[in-house]
Formats: sequence, C-alpha cells, structure tokens
Amino acid sequence: MCNQTVGLVQREIEGQGISTVGISIAREISESVKPPRTYFLKYPFGHALGEAGNKLQHFTILKESLELLTSVQEPGTIIDSPYRWRRYRFEG
Amino acid sequence: MRNIMNRFMVMLFQIPWVKSYWSSRYPAVLSSSTPWKPLGKPLQHCKIAVITTGGVHLKTDKPFDMLDKEGDPSFRLIPSATEQEQLAITHDYYDHSDADKDINLVLPVDALKEAQQMGLVGESAEHFYGLMGHVGGQHLKTLVEETAQLIIRQLKLEKVDVVLLVPA
Repeated sequence: MCNQTVGLVQREIEGQGISTVGISIAREISESVKPPRTYFLKYPFGHALGEAGNKLQHFTILKESLELLTSVQEPGTIIDSPYRWRRYRFEG
Repeated sequence: MRNIMNRFMVMLFQIPWVKSYWSSRYPAVLSSSTPWKPLGKPLQHCKIAVITTGGVHLKTDKPFDMLDKEGDPSFRLIPSATEQEQLAITHDYYDHSDADKDINLVLPVDALKEAQQMGLVGESAEHFYGLMGHVGGQHLKTLVEETAQLIIRQLKLEKVDVVLLVPA
C-alpha cells in the first residue's frame, strides 16, 4: 500500500546518501517500516496534502514536512501534525 | 468483478475508523533499523525532488498496471515543469476524484513553488517520480531492488540533495 511503498523507497534513498522526508497517512505502517523522517496526518487516502483547492493547507503541510529535514535528529522520528481533518481552519 | 470489488473497498476506506483499523492490522514490512543521512547544507540551497505514490504519470506515458493483483512496482518520470493538464492518475485503490481536480493533493507542485519563491528550499530537480503505491507480494522485491535503485541513479545524476515522498 502507498505508505509502505513511500517508506521502503524512502529508506533506500536515504541509505544511499540523500536526505529524505515522507508524509504518512497511516501511522502504524510508518511505525513498522521505519523511514528516517515522517510527518503524519490523520487524513483520508488521496488527501496527504489536505483538501482540493486549499492552497494554504497544502503549503503549511509541505513547509512543516520539509522542516523535519533540519529539526529531526533521531532516525525513525514520526511527527504528528496538529491539523485535524476538516476541523482545523486554515486562514491566511 | 474485480473493478467493482475495488470500488467497494475504496468507498469503505473513506470511513475513518475503517481506515484506522485496516492500517493497524496491515502486515507491513517490519524494519529493525533506520538509515540516516543528515542534511549536508542549508535547506534553501538543497535541490529537491518529489516522489508520489498516487499513480501519477504523464498522459502520454504508459498507465500503471491495474490487472496484476500484486500491483505495479514500476515508476514514471515526470518532468518537474509539467502542467497539471498533462498529468493523469492511474490507481484503482484509492478515491482520486479530488486529486484528479487538484493534483497537489498527491504531488504538491504549487506549494513547492511557493516554498521556493520564499527561499525555504532550493530549486526543483529536472524530474519528479510517479509510483503506484499498491505494491505487494513478489513485487516488493522489485520495488526495492530495481525501481528504487533506478530512481536513486537518476536522483544522483540530477544532483538531488533532498527528496519529499508523498503517499496517496
């Protein structure tokens, strides 16, 4: 499934010397596969960046994911996003 | 029949607790350790590539195989400057009706451009990569030992520093 595929490919890339960060929408699978850095959202399949047309939501999730490249120091870290599906309102 | 079953499963997974229950029971690959490469330079100077497992590919490219029940472990090159109109999604295992309207849900090209304009991250690599995330059985070996290695070769050729991976 998608999150496992992300994790497996991510591990290979990192193992060959390129820093990676992955988004996950299935925490248990990321916990098992153990990719280097993961930003987890409790979002439905097909919506890793959020809702269609919500540019601020997409940008926020992308930005916070990329920040893990510098902030995470422990391999296998999973950061839980605070943005709940359709509960958190993204406002500019 | 298989198509009808897939559609039923996709609908079922739209129920949050069904998705959570399934995820917690999925027999995922269990890794014991984690590879690690610290960032070698400031993020704003890092060349970035994006990999999506949302089944995204150029309309002119070969669609992913939806007939093999163990999935399709191959990948498609997506020039990073590609417009959404030139892209298609072939993936029967999730509801991509929203992503069909807004590709950014599985390949965040617009948000990445914004981050680059703000100087948060460096330029995009020449290519991004599309995979179809539904991969299992014997195809997992192909995914890791062949597909991932081909992708890494291309990443190194394009001198990519960081990779963002996005599931569907």
